[in-house]
Amino acid sequence: MQAWFEKSAKMFEAAFITGDRWKLYLNGLGVTLEIAFFAAILGMIIGTLLAFMKLSSRRNGKKTILAVIANIYIDIIRGTPSVLQLMIMWFIIFANSKNGVIVAILSFGINSGAYVAEIVRAGILAVDNGQMEAGRSLGLSKAQTMIHIIIPQAVKNVLPPIGNEFIVLLKETAIVGYVSLTDLTRAANQIASRTYEAFMPLIGAAVIYFIVIKILTILLAKFERRLRKSDNR
Amino acid sequence: MIIVKDLHKKFENNHVLRGVNYHVHQGEKIVVIGPSGSGKSTFLRCMNLLEVPTSGEIWFDGVNITDPKTDIDKVREHMGMVFQNFNLFNNLTIMNNITLAPVKLKLMNKEEACENALKLLERVGLSEKADAYPSQLSGGQKQRVAIVRSLAMNPRVMLFDEPTSALDPEMVGEVLDVMKGLAESGMTMVVVTHEMGFAREVGTKVLFMDEGVIMEENTPQEFFNHPKSPRLQEFLSKVL
Repeated sequence: MQAWFEKSAKMFEAAFITGDRWKLYLNGLGVTLEIAFFAAILGMIIGTLLAFMKLSSRRNGKKTILAVIANIYIDIIRGTPSVLQLMIMWFIIFANSKNGVIVAILSFGINSGAYVAEIVRAGILAVDNGQMEAGRSLGLSKAQTMIHIIIPQAVKNVLPPIGNEFIVLLKETAIVGYVSLTDLTRAANQIASRTYEAFMPLIGAAVIYFIVIKILTILLAKFERRLRKSDNR
Repeated sequence: MIIVKDLHKKFENNHVLRGVNYHVHQGEKIVVIGPSGSGKSTFLRCMNLLEVPTSGEIWFDGVNITDPKTDIDKVREHMGMVFQNFNLFNNLTIMNNITLAPVKLKLMNKEEACENALKLLERVGLSEKADAYPSQLSGGQKQRVAIVRSLAMNPRVMLFDEPTSALDPEMVGEVLDVMKGLAESGMTMVVVTHEMGFAREVGTKVLFMDEGVIMEENTPQEFFNHPKSPRLQEFLSKVL
């Protein structure tokens, strides 16, 4: 028992203490969070834009050019692996770029946008059509009704799946090791190969991801509760 | 005031309106009745272009509103509409439900709109609900607020699309009372309903729609006491 304990302590020391290795995890986590945060913002912007492009309609009910473009975008992004998209961005499109983090942010943002688009679209469609009709019947324009009536209600619908998308995105950034960025996952992997001991670094990284996502979940739940309060139900 | 000329409306393969002609004059209270699927709601919804007609023309105050060049938002400012399902804005308080359109369309400033809204709410006995949300109201209260919301725009005509059909029976009366009061104040009204008592009491004309056309039109007296077409006789024998 005592032998096992001593061995574990040594493993822990090698994984986290020796040569200030804990800093490597921290730096890795910093890269992970930076990419995830800005990619999430970019994804929201692109996704919302795409959602409205998809929802645009002409008087005769046919699809607009904008809707067709949005559909093609979403099909391509959802139809290819995100790790491939990242590699295409890094090795082909931005082959001359030296800033890997920005390329990763772009790549994940573009990817996330396709999923956010469908979430936002579903959230808007879930608002009863009568709300739009009532707004229009009072003389408000389609845009005015959207801004004052539909979107505030859609935000509430959208929040849970958007939170889900953020969590997926945060974990998905673990693939940036493919383009030689040192995020949390890659930092852990590097330490594992240096110490010839995988257990502590990998479990350690897993625990860090878990804690970050748990905090994110709590924050989202709080925000959701605050929005529901205005329902006064 | 509203002239409907040879109105047709098709949904996919479903030919709902098959040539409707009608002229609504100022101050009239037109009640439209008919079996479900007869096209009466579609007819009403075409009047403010919530449904775009397949063919035919609709004129409102001398303006052809079916002309694509007409600014329909401007036209709708003068046509109130009340829906079967109330359609109050769920994210806004009652006060904001009523004042949103007049303020955003710059017809009134915020204070005027609030003052006007309170006056109207008072008229339907709901002034204490100004700060409530729609989810806190009963069906009858919601529909009375919906009527007030339309009235806040000072419309020239009010369209009612089965305003009492989604209500519990004991709440129908309170909504009909508001509508009667509105009729007495001289408002031009077009009402699609199943309330025969209201048609008889308030209507200046009653229309019977079936199979996408106006089958019969008469004063309430004649309409209910001496129905001409066999189809209307059959309908009335079932509902009265």
